[in-house]
Amino acid sequence: MAWWIWLVVVIAAVAAVAMVTLAVQAGRRSGTVIAVRRRRGGKGAR
Amino acid sequence: MNELMAARSLTTLPVVTLSGEAVAQIKDTVFDAEAGRITGFTLSGRGLLSGPLKQSLPWTAVHSLGHDAVMIVDAGVLADTPVVVARREAQQGRVLHARVLTDEGAQVGTVLDVVVEGGTSGRVVGFRIAAGKALVQGSRRRRHRVYVPRGETLAVSGRALVIPADATRYVADDLPSFAARVGAFRDGREGTPP
Repeated sequence: MAWWIWLVVVIAAVAAVAMVTLAVQAGRRSGTVIAVRRRRGGKGAR
Repeated sequence: MNELMAARSLTTLPVVTLSGEAVAQIKDTVFDAEAGRITGFTLSGRGLLSGPLKQSLPWTAVHSLGHDAVMIVDAGVLADTPVVVARREAQQGRVLHARVLTDEGAQVGTVLDVVVEGGTSGRVVGFRIAAGKALVQGSRRRRHRVYVPRGETLAVSGRALVIPADATRYVADDLPSFAARVGAFRDGREGTPP
């Protein structure tokens, strides 16, 4: 197989890993604020 | 009053044990809308490729909420995520971008953030909102962002947040002045004229 095909495969693999890493990092930073309702004496009540 | 913090700024804060080990980081902040208190946090892992964790941090297990870290006694205090928030609640209870209405029916803006008190209280003291024209007069191009105190008669869901109409008289432009406004709002509710 020609050497440049291997180069393309390696570049594609690196790009895929980078995209997965960025997606995971974006997911971790996408925190939000959630309001819940707790019954008195129920789960989460203090 | 302890230092005030925006709930969105808590995202990615490390969760650190008293022995100094960072075991996770904060993802979502969960609060009880009726009681006006944080009930816990969902978590992400600390590694480069770590995603959301199956464990969460109940507020009862928090030693202290600081500006740079959330302190816990040890990793054993983490609980399964449904203890803090069920999946359905997580989908329906997102308050960011919800409409803000007064109990008199006026729409005064949309929610940008939730203001919480640091330390050990976990109290929700107010909201940062993108103010509508009913609250702040001004150019439509430059949306005014203000802080309003949380009312005792608060109702909140993923669609709308209802605050007392008198809370809109205590808006502030920044967190330091908001702390004083919250105190004045409480005094006003206890009978002292604003």
